[in-house]
Amino acid sequence: MSRYGGSSNVVNSGNNRSQLTELFIKKILAHLDDTDPQKLTHFLNLFNPTNCKVIVNATPFAQPAIFLEVWQSSVVQTQHALTAVDYHIIPGSQTMICNVSCKVRFDESGKDKMGQDSVVASNEGNIGMNKTSAKPNSRPLWGSYFGVSLQLVIEERVFNNDMNGVISGFNYNMIYKPQDSLITI
Amino acid sequence: MSGFHNVNNINLMAQQQSMQNRVKVGIKNWQNATIQDLMNFLSRNTRVSIVDASVEGQTVIGYVASKADADSLMKWNGIRFAGNNLKFEILDDNSGTGTSNTITLLKNFLLRRYKTETKMLDLGNLHNDPELVQKGLFSSISTQSKMFPALMKLASKEPQLIVESINLSDNNLKDITGIASLAQTFPNLRNLCLANNQISRFRSLEVWKNKFKDLRELLMMNNPITTDKLYRSEMLRLFPKLVILDGVVLRDEQQLTRIYSLPMKLQQFFFENNDLGSSSTDFVTNFLNFWDADRNQLLGLYTPQSQFSLSVDSSMPSSSVTESDQNPSFGYYLSSSRNISKVSSEKSIQQRLAMGQEAISKNFKSIPRTKHHLQDKPNEYSMEVVSCPQISGFIITLHGFFEETEKPEIDPIKSNGPQRSRRFNHGHNSTNNRLSKKSFDRTWVIVPTGTGVVIASDLLTIRAFATPAWLQDPSQFPAVVPQTINPSQPLQTGMPIAAPGNQAMAAAINPSISTGSAIGSAPQLSPTLQLPPDVQARLNPLQLEILNKLHLETKLNAEYSYMLAEQSGWSYDVAIKGFQNSVSNIPREAFIQ
Repeated sequence: MSRYGGSSNVVNSGNNRSQLTELFIKKILAHLDDTDPQKLTHFLNLFNPTNCKVIVNATPFAQPAIFLEVWQSSVVQTQHALTAVDYHIIPGSQTMICNVSCKVRFDESGKDKMGQDSVVASNEGNIGMNKTSAKPNSRPLWGSYFGVSLQLVIEERVFNNDMNGVISGFNYNMIYKPQDSLITI
Repeated sequence: MSGFHNVNNINLMAQQQSMQNRVKVGIKNWQNATIQDLMNFLSRNTRVSIVDASVEGQTVIGYVASKADADSLMKWNGIRFAGNNLKFEILDDNSGTGTSNTITLLKNFLLRRYKTETKMLDLGNLHNDPELVQKGLFSSISTQSKMFPALMKLASKEPQLIVESINLSDNNLKDITGIASLAQTFPNLRNLCLANNQISRFRSLEVWKNKFKDLRELLMMNNPITTDKLYRSEMLRLFPKLVILDGVVLRDEQQLTRIYSLPMKLQQFFFENNDLGSSSTDFVTNFLNFWDADRNQLLGLYTPQSQFSLSVDSSMPSSSVTESDQNPSFGYYLSSSRNISKVSSEKSIQQRLAMGQEAISKNFKSIPRTKHHLQDKPNEYSMEVVSCPQISGFIITLHGFFEETEKPEIDPIKSNGPQRSRRFNHGHNSTNNRLSKKSFDRTWVIVPTGTGVVIASDLLTIRAFATPAWLQDPSQFPAVVPQTINPSQPLQTGMPIAAPGNQAMAAAINPSISTGSAIGSAPQLSPTLQLPPDVQARLNPLQLEILNKLHLETKLNAEYSYMLAEQSGWSYDVAIKGFQNSVSNIPREAFIQ
């Protein structure tokens, strides 16, 4: 899928590891921004199923599946923008560590990922109201950007186009917040 | 003639003017240093100059130029000088001499109309208030229109007015222009009553759009506007968190809270286990001390295979981020930045990775000298530590800020040879190299050896300064209570949250506590300070004492005292200062009932 970065047609030639790393990180951010629950399994496949440490805002998750479920069901639609990436391949460990900076903004329209809002249907003749609230696929109302610092532990296999279970560490923390956002963290 | 054109007279007048404005201040706790040292220290740090200083007993008495200077000096209360925390006080306040009777009158009126128990400011039916009418405040249209803004302004200066609800019913309001400033004065207002007025148009309410983001209940009964068929939807649009309109539930509150909050509340620390907590805290504290003082001393921690690189995140935080630097300068860092989303040349990416002591040392020298504030401002740092089985070590990530104190030993721009300087000789000026405060994220991959540790990897991100997200907004105090008091684990089952680790961190980086006096038996707690037994068991006697002192001083209940103490890194002075700064926003239920 092109929106997850067209990694399938990139040839690994030793000196394009930086590009592959950046692409892979963009893929992860795109997964976080996806509202389609069908895509969740693709995302989950990237995480090491038996030994992966997921920390979000200094809150640990026992399993990546639990994190993704919470992210899908209880976090409104997001939009991530990558601002900085650096990485080190740790010799002899088949592992690299990535230090990522990005910005994220949230849909502040009052609807969750499924388009559901909290407005109670009124029993009086309320013309116009329910029409707008129940409309599916309405556009998100983006708030101001939050700052995010993300550390990833990724297995080197990813350079050979093997993405199954390559993420074994995921440390996602908000580092600054706008005062005008409706979202509380 | 009055000599009006005489320059000396003007000077004299200016002098008199400034003498009139100046404010007398007192400074306590300055022992162990001369007055001159104290004055130098203060002018250097607080940028407020104090004149005509003299000693009276335990206090230094002096004058600052204006009320504003005095106020900004008060913000530095508790700053450390010569081993003590300084205490500032305003001794007299000349600016109040011009206070007219009207202000006193309105102030008293406000206090009379404020109900502490309900946190309600009742400004209903002002036209029939006998006192206001008698004083002629409704004698003309012009005094009426000035009344509300004046009341609002006065209310915002009264810290004891903690207002959650405002009643403005029966005021003959045709629109809200007169009361529009309400949104500036009480941005976190929860309940508002505008019933029995003549408000008829949505348009006038538009100035409140995106304001009052916490407004939960609105009463507009008996206003023409309520008969409009768009009334309900317009109110929903203007007030995103409005739950109840005219007594009718508009939004499902639970659902609303779910949508507008993240399920994982931001915490300052995460340690996979307690041992990791204390050892990594020691590591970070020592590392940064050397990093600020003498970076060469750190080189022993790096092996020939160790890697270091820095990346610049030059993105600008939104201007609505508190204290964010909207004009950051990265001049000293850009030439070594290995931000691969910005640097396209693979050759540069290779070159900017320092491997082995020699290269790392050179890289260290090309970064500005710094000062970190882990000890004196522990709240401004956040840290996560996890073990990493792949390298049989662990990963420490620290977020925080530093001050740049001096330019780098090696100028990275000059040292990079003629090729680079040619590229930069258009439009490059040294103002890009201004020293300033920066925020950073730093990740160390640490491998323990028999005797100590080595750093396998050291990744540093430099970015524009911004107030950290984990610092609690006082208006959101209630939201964090359950998390701090009960480190229960609603979302996960495996890894423990090491809450005691927080205290280990605080104790380690706040030596004033760990080296304090009373170690041993638990102090006598005030009977109103009722801590859950498991919480109490986790606290050491010193922490209990701090908690008790805070509780007695602030009258906050146990939960909030604990929260305040923890957020202040268990420093009594920091906590009291934080309390004083946010007292007006602390909800009523936070205090002993």
